[in-house]
Amino acid sequence: MPFKYFHIKRKNKHHLSLSPPVPFAYRWISGSSMADSSDLISGSSMEEGFERERHVFYLQMMYQLLPSQYQGQEINRLTLAYFAISGLDILGSLHSVDKEEVVKWVLSLQAHPKNDAELNKGQFYGFHGSRSSQFQLTDNRVWIPNGSHLAATYCAVCILKTLGYNLSLMDSESILKSMKNLQQPDGSFMPIHTGAETDLRFVFCAAALCFMLENWSGMDREKAKEYILNCQSYDGGFGLIPGAESHGGATYCAVASLRLMGFIEDDLVFKSVSSCIINVPLLLEWALQRQAEDGGFQGRSNKSSDTCYAFWVGGVLRILGAHKFIDEEALRIFLLTCQSQYGGFSKYPGQLPDLYHSYYGISAFSLLKEPGLNPISVLLGITDIAAAIGL
Amino acid sequence: MDSSDEDEQQQRRIPISQRSEWSDVTPVPQNDGPNPVVPISYTEEFAETMDYFRAVYLADERSPRALLLTAEAIGFNPGNYTVWQFRRLILEALNADLHKELDFVDRIASDNSKNYQIWHHRRWVAEKLGSEAIIGELEFTKKIFSNDAKNYHAWSHRQWVLQALGGWENELAYCHKLLEEDIFNNSAWNQRYFVITRSPLLGGLEAMRKSEVSYAVEAITAKPENESPWRYLRGLYKDDPKSLINDPQISSICLKILNDKCNHRFALSMLLDLVSHGFQPSQDLKNAVDAHISESDPPDSDFAKTVCSVLERVDPMRVNYWNWRKSTSGYDSGV
Repeated sequence: MPFKYFHIKRKNKHHLSLSPPVPFAYRWISGSSMADSSDLISGSSMEEGFERERHVFYLQMMYQLLPSQYQGQEINRLTLAYFAISGLDILGSLHSVDKEEVVKWVLSLQAHPKNDAELNKGQFYGFHGSRSSQFQLTDNRVWIPNGSHLAATYCAVCILKTLGYNLSLMDSESILKSMKNLQQPDGSFMPIHTGAETDLRFVFCAAALCFMLENWSGMDREKAKEYILNCQSYDGGFGLIPGAESHGGATYCAVASLRLMGFIEDDLVFKSVSSCIINVPLLLEWALQRQAEDGGFQGRSNKSSDTCYAFWVGGVLRILGAHKFIDEEALRIFLLTCQSQYGGFSKYPGQLPDLYHSYYGISAFSLLKEPGLNPISVLLGITDIAAAIGL
Repeated sequence: MDSSDEDEQQQRRIPISQRSEWSDVTPVPQNDGPNPVVPISYTEEFAETMDYFRAVYLADERSPRALLLTAEAIGFNPGNYTVWQFRRLILEALNADLHKELDFVDRIASDNSKNYQIWHHRRWVAEKLGSEAIIGELEFTKKIFSNDAKNYHAWSHRQWVLQALGGWENELAYCHKLLEEDIFNNSAWNQRYFVITRSPLLGGLEAMRKSEVSYAVEAITAKPENESPWRYLRGLYKDDPKSLINDPQISSICLKILNDKCNHRFALSMLLDLVSHGFQPSQDLKNAVDAHISESDPPDSDFAKTVCSVLERVDPMRVNYWNWRKSTSGYDSGV
């Protein structure tokens, strides 16, 4: 594969330039939304459909090597790997992934307590997002806490399931036992025990983990439910924290978590409202109004449409059973304006693609039942096939 | 950043290995292990900075030079929470001037206004400073809003400051100012709701309701196609649909917008909402809705069904939804 040429050999202190011999390739995989690169983007033709092969190529490129623009996200390399690998799975191209090597790498990022007693000392023992939060420790350097992260742990388990790894082979007990150390008195979750923001994103990670590991001892579901309910805003959507503005991503985390935890059923819009813990009609109308005139979904009222909300808000509507109320054709048209001619998707029409928006663009097309794509488990963020692989 | 920019940066920056104050430290390289996936093409200065950070972190060196190093590392990698965490430990160990730390965050905030770690760090510092930080934090978020009046992190931070430290006095006025600048700013509407429901200086939602309904109605009159004040208006009666249907201001704004004959889809959906809670439309309202019926709409004596038919036509994006609402208009929508 040509891109092995660009692998970094830091010991030799090679100058890390990606300019030769394929300058145009460097520009399109750079992943930044720079408007001045418009000369390279002639804009996707409107007659184009979903270009599966192109997206496979893009994800394979990212899987091989991420350009330096991604170094600011390197603490979350596991997340980037999840986007590439789960994305290829949705596209039916998992064969290009070296499963054994990836599993080995993922497992090498797991934090392990020295003994059971450590699990109750306040630290979370999950997965590190990358080596940069993982330190090789000798016994006398106990002041360094393990840097494992709840979101990285969710991504790790997603990747392992996607690759068909038997989860019973790994130490999930440490994850579950120590996850409780991250839950706050108000029910929310912190992603790392050394201190960080707490919000709905991590409630989702916790719920998805417990669901995939088939064990709810890692969290107090009732408390988490209370926190979620406190996040429902006056307009029916959910904010990331109580009082915050309704937001597409937060609403997905709220609704998916409630469903995973078993507090709401499928297809809520067709069920009786009086027994439901959330205001479904208000939520439904909020979510449907997020489809803007250009056919795309916005994350918040009066903001621009952005590719990823086709999954976040489209996903909410799917969970509620209301996906038939979406104007699917208009959504497809919008998403195709964000489809890059070099593969992948951008946030807004006509920009350069990035891995995050590519993954959610592809996921959105799976929700739209694009032919040739594997169906996605809307609650977990992996394919149905991956989700079905049991412990 | 293309390779020529990187060259320039490399020329300006002196590698740490060439700085005399670091000559006693051996950098610790990242151990990636065999065949890592999604390898990142690190720039040399990024890699070197992180190698030196690893060295001071493993040595637990909480010194002034380590503090400077964390700033450099943050410059390359503001998302690295390990670096931020260690910076906090150093600040505590050195008993550093936290006001200067706020200045540090000020300097890097504009390029990183959507970075979670920076906001968490800011909160940590402000919490330590307590009430003396109030004015500064409100000013700081204001500055962010002058560039992006909808920055989600800044709004969460501002809400935290108000609830944890105080400073509610001018908040409602600030919301008004933002809405004067952009009446479509949904974040400002949300903040307004936050203030009227949570400010200890105001009487709470019910006490504020009447004046806030007038406020929303005025905004709707100016721009009836603006979703935000419609949602706000509905939200003022969140758990009290009975009062909603009895408030004459609400039915009258619906009537007014319908009679103006354009931008009325939110008026129609509000009306549908009211009816689902038992509202009995006046003849004026029925006439106003009937005026929007086109020949293609099926005739219907049921007011709710008529409203749905009109909505199917004026809000075609959601035609399937309005069609479904029509068929379930006996449905206790509970909206």
